[in-house]
Amino acid sequence: MAARQDDEHLIEHNYDGIQEYDNPLPRWWVYLFYATIVFSILYALNVPGIGIGKGRIADYEADVAAFRAAHPQDAETVSPEQLAALAADPSALEAGKQVYVTNCASCHRADGGGMIGPNLADDAWIHGGTLANIHTTIVEGVLAKGMPNWGKLLKPDQVNAVTIYVASLKGTNPVDGKAPEGTPVTP
Amino acid sequence: MSESRSVPAGAAPAAAARLESFSYDDAIVRKFLFATILWGFVGMLIGLIVAIQLAYPEWNLAPYLTFGRLRPLHTNAVIFAFAGNAIFTGVYYSTQRLCKARMYSDGLSAAHFWGWQLIIVAAAVTLPMGFTQTKEYAELEWPIDIMIAVVWIIFAINFIGTLIKRRERHLYVALWFYLASIITVALLHIFNNLVIPAGAFKSYSIYAGVQDAFMQWWYGHNAVAFFLTTPFLGLMYYFMPKAAEGPVFSYRLSILHFWTLVFMYIWAGPHHLHYTSLPEWATTVGMLFSVMLWAPSWGGMINGLLTLRGGWHKVADDPILKFMVIALTGYGMSTFEGPMLSIKTVNSLSHYTDWTIAHVHSGALTWNGFLTFAMIYWLAPKLFQTELYSKKLMNTHFWIATVGVVLYIVSIYSAGVTQGLMWRAFDETGRLQYPDFVETVARLIPMYWVRVVGGTLYLTGVILFAYNILKTWARRPAGYVVSVIQAPALAREYVEEPLRPGIDVPASAWGRFVNLTFHRKWERAPVLFSVLTFVAVAIASLFEIIPTFLIKSNVPTIASVKPYTPLELAGRDIYIREGCVNCHSQMIRPLRFETERYGEYSKPGESVYEHPFLFGSRRIGPDLAREGGMKSNLWHLRHFQNPREVNAKSIMPAYGNLITDDLDFESIQRRVDVMAMLGVPYGEAIGRAPEMARAQARLIGADLDQTGGGPGFETKEVTALIAYMQRLGRDIQGDQGAVATKPGATPARAPAAGAQP
Repeated sequence: MAARQDDEHLIEHNYDGIQEYDNPLPRWWVYLFYATIVFSILYALNVPGIGIGKGRIADYEADVAAFRAAHPQDAETVSPEQLAALAADPSALEAGKQVYVTNCASCHRADGGGMIGPNLADDAWIHGGTLANIHTTIVEGVLAKGMPNWGKLLKPDQVNAVTIYVASLKGTNPVDGKAPEGTPVTP
Repeated sequence: MSESRSVPAGAAPAAAARLESFSYDDAIVRKFLFATILWGFVGMLIGLIVAIQLAYPEWNLAPYLTFGRLRPLHTNAVIFAFAGNAIFTGVYYSTQRLCKARMYSDGLSAAHFWGWQLIIVAAAVTLPMGFTQTKEYAELEWPIDIMIAVVWIIFAINFIGTLIKRRERHLYVALWFYLASIITVALLHIFNNLVIPAGAFKSYSIYAGVQDAFMQWWYGHNAVAFFLTTPFLGLMYYFMPKAAEGPVFSYRLSILHFWTLVFMYIWAGPHHLHYTSLPEWATTVGMLFSVMLWAPSWGGMINGLLTLRGGWHKVADDPILKFMVIALTGYGMSTFEGPMLSIKTVNSLSHYTDWTIAHVHSGALTWNGFLTFAMIYWLAPKLFQTELYSKKLMNTHFWIATVGVVLYIVSIYSAGVTQGLMWRAFDETGRLQYPDFVETVARLIPMYWVRVVGGTLYLTGVILFAYNILKTWARRPAGYVVSVIQAPALAREYVEEPLRPGIDVPASAWGRFVNLTFHRKWERAPVLFSVLTFVAVAIASLFEIIPTFLIKSNVPTIASVKPYTPLELAGRDIYIREGCVNCHSQMIRPLRFETERYGEYSKPGESVYEHPFLFGSRRIGPDLAREGGMKSNLWHLRHFQNPREVNAKSIMPAYGNLITDDLDFESIQRRVDVMAMLGVPYGEAIGRAPEMARAQARLIGADLDQTGGGPGFETKEVTALIAYMQRLGRDIQGDQGAVATKPGATPARAPAAGAQP
C-alpha cells in the first residue's frame, strides 16, 4: 500500500499479521454522533412521560376531529324516485354491476344466486325488497349475519348504483340458486 | 501455511520465554464452511419458495408447506443456519490465529458443530409441522430452545477458554465483537424464551401482551444486532485487512464504535412497536437510541472502507474485495435506513409493509451474504491448500448476486411504499380511497414477481459459489499439511511498556482518557472485558425492562376483558400453529387511516391474557384485532376452505386440513391449566374445559348447518378457529357476540366502524 500518507502512525501491535493505524476519528463522524445525541435530547422533551408533549393519543384525536370537520359525512339521502330514475340509466346499471362484482359477488354469487349471503335473484326479501329497503340494507349492512355496513366503504353514488343493480337481478332466477329466505314480495 | 511472525508488543523479554509448539484446528473450520454453504442454499431456496407463494398462492400446500409455516423456516434457516455457521467458520478460523492458540477443546468444538446442525435439522422438521412459539426468530419450541442454550454455552466455554489460554497478550478488535455477541445472544435467547410447556412441543410465554411484545422485540432487534451485525463486524475486522493486505484505518475508531454499539443497540428494540399499545415512553426511547446508533454503526463501515484507502485499484481485480465493498456499503445503507425507519413519522408509513422486508434484505443479502461469500472465497484456498477452482466464476457470482440484490430490494421497496400509501389514502369525500384491503395486495403482485426474479438470480449465484468451492475442495491434496506453530506462552506477570506522557500519549489525565489509553489494559483481560460487556448490555436492558414490568399505569386494566373460552383458546392455538401471525396483525394503531379501516385502536389492557402476544409485524392480509362479528360463521368456513372462492384476488392459502381434521378436545384442558398457572383467571373452565368447548362448538356447528354450510363441523378444527375469529376485539365492544358463537348470544347492537369486505 505505497499510496498511503506518510504521516499516519502505525501502531506497533500485530495480530496474525494485521496492523492498525492510530488515525484520529473523522471529524464529520464525531459531529454526526453529537448531532444525533442533541436531536434525541430535544426530541425527548416532547414526549409524554419523559417531557411535556401531549402524546400520540391526543395527536390522533385532534387529527380525527380536524379531518371530520373538513369532511362532514352528511347522512346521504336519496329518494325512491331518484333511485327509480337512476334505474332507467344503463350506464348507472353498468356501474352498479362493477361495484357488485367487486364487493358483493363473493357472498351473493356473481349471478345473485346466493352462497354465504342470501339469494338476491328470487322474489323473497329478508329486509324488504323496495329500492329504499335495499338501499338501507346496503348502507347499514346486516352485521349480525356478517354483512358489512357498505355505507362506510362505498361512495354514495356507488351505493345508489349497486342498489339499482341488485334490484335488477330480481326474478332472473339463476340455476342452483339458494332457497328463498324471508318474505316474498310481489312486484 | 501459517507461522508466528510477531512477538506480543511490550511483552517481557520474549526471547527468554520458552517457545511452545501447537497447531490450529482447521478441520472444524472446514466442517462449518460446508455447513454454511449447505444451509445457505436450503434457507435461500425456502426464501424463494415463500416469495413465489406470495405471488402465486397455489404454491401453498396445506398443512405442511404453507407460507405461514415456511416463512419462519426461511428466517430461521438463513439467520441461524446460514449466518450462524458462517460466523462459526470465521470465528473458529480467526480466533485461533488471533490468540495463537488451538481452540480450547476439540471435544467442545465437535459438540458445538454437531449440536448446532442437530438444532437446524430439528427446526426444519418441527416448523413445517406447526410447532411454533410464534415470536419472530424465536419460533422454535422449548425442547429445541434448551438445545440452543446448551450448545451456545458450549461455544462460549470453548471460545472464552481459548482466550484464556491465548499466547497473544492483547485481544484484537475482532475478538471483542465475538465476545460481545456470544454473551448477549445467550442473555437474549434465555430471557425471551421463558415459557411454560403445555405439551412436548407446545408452550405459552410467561409474559403476556404488551410485556411479551416488549421482550420479543428486545430480543428480535438484538438478534439482528448481536447475531447479524456484531459477529460480522468481527469477521470484517479480521478478513478485510487480510484480504486488502493493509492495516485497519483507526484503532481508536474501533474502540469507540465497539462500545457505543454494544451499549446502544440493546435499547433500540421498542422501535418495532411504534403506535402499538406499548407505552409511548418506551417506543420513544427505542427510537432515540436507534437514531443515536447511526454514527456508531457507520464507525464499522468507515473503518472497513478506509482500510482500502490507496488500495482501490485492487478492488477492480479482486472479486473478494468487491464482495467486501458491497457488503460494507450495504451495511452502511441499512444502518442509515434503520435509524430513519425508527423515526415515528416514517415508521407510521413503513410499519406492517414490505418496506421492513426490503430493509432487512438489503442488509442481509449484502452485509451477511456478501461478507460470507468473500470470507469463504478467501478461506477456501487456505483451508483446502490449493488454488481456488475459478476466479472467473467467482466474478460471475458477484455480478449475478449484485443484480439479484438490486432487483429484490427495488421491487420490494416499491411494494412497501405503494401499499403504505394506499392504506392511508382518503378520497375527496373523506372515505378511504382503497377500503377493500385486497386491492392493496393485488397491486403488489407484479413487484412480487420481480422479487422472485431477483431471488432466483441471488440463489443462482449461491449455486455457482457452492460449485466453485466444491471444485476447489476436490483439488485438495491427499493429506492436509498441518503446520506446527511456535510461540512463547504468556508470562504470568506483564510489565507494560511505559508510555511517555507528551510523546506517546497526551500529558494531561483528561487527554489520556479521551485518547482511550486505558483500553489497552482491558484488552489484556478477557474476563474483565466479558464482565464489562455484560454490564453494558444488562444495564441498558434493565433500564427498559424494569419500568415496562413494574409501572402499573403502562397497562391500564379493562374490566370487560375476559379470558378466551376453552374453544377459542384451542382456535387461537390453531392460529399460532398455522402461522397466521406472519400475515395478519392484531394491533390497530391510533392513526386515522387505521381506525377508519379497522375500528377503535387497540388498548394495552386488551392483551393482558395474550400468552404469547400476537400483534404481528406485517400485514399481507388485513388486521384482525376487531374481526369478531364482522363476518358470518359461514363466510369464515368458506374462506378457510378456499379464500379465492370468497375473494378472487386473495393470496391466502387454502386450509382444507382445518375443514377435515378433528379437533383434539381433550388436549384443551392442559392448555387451560397452563394458562391458569400463568395467572389467567379461568375459573370454571379448570376441570371442564373439553365439555365447555364441545358445547360452544355445537352452537357454531348448528349455525353453520342452518346457514347452508352443511352438518358435522362441530367436531372439526375449523370450528375452534371460527370461534376465535368471532371473539377478536369483542371484549371492549360491550356486547357478547352478534354472530351466534356463544351460549346465550343475543344478536344486537350497532357495529363498530370499519368493517372489512
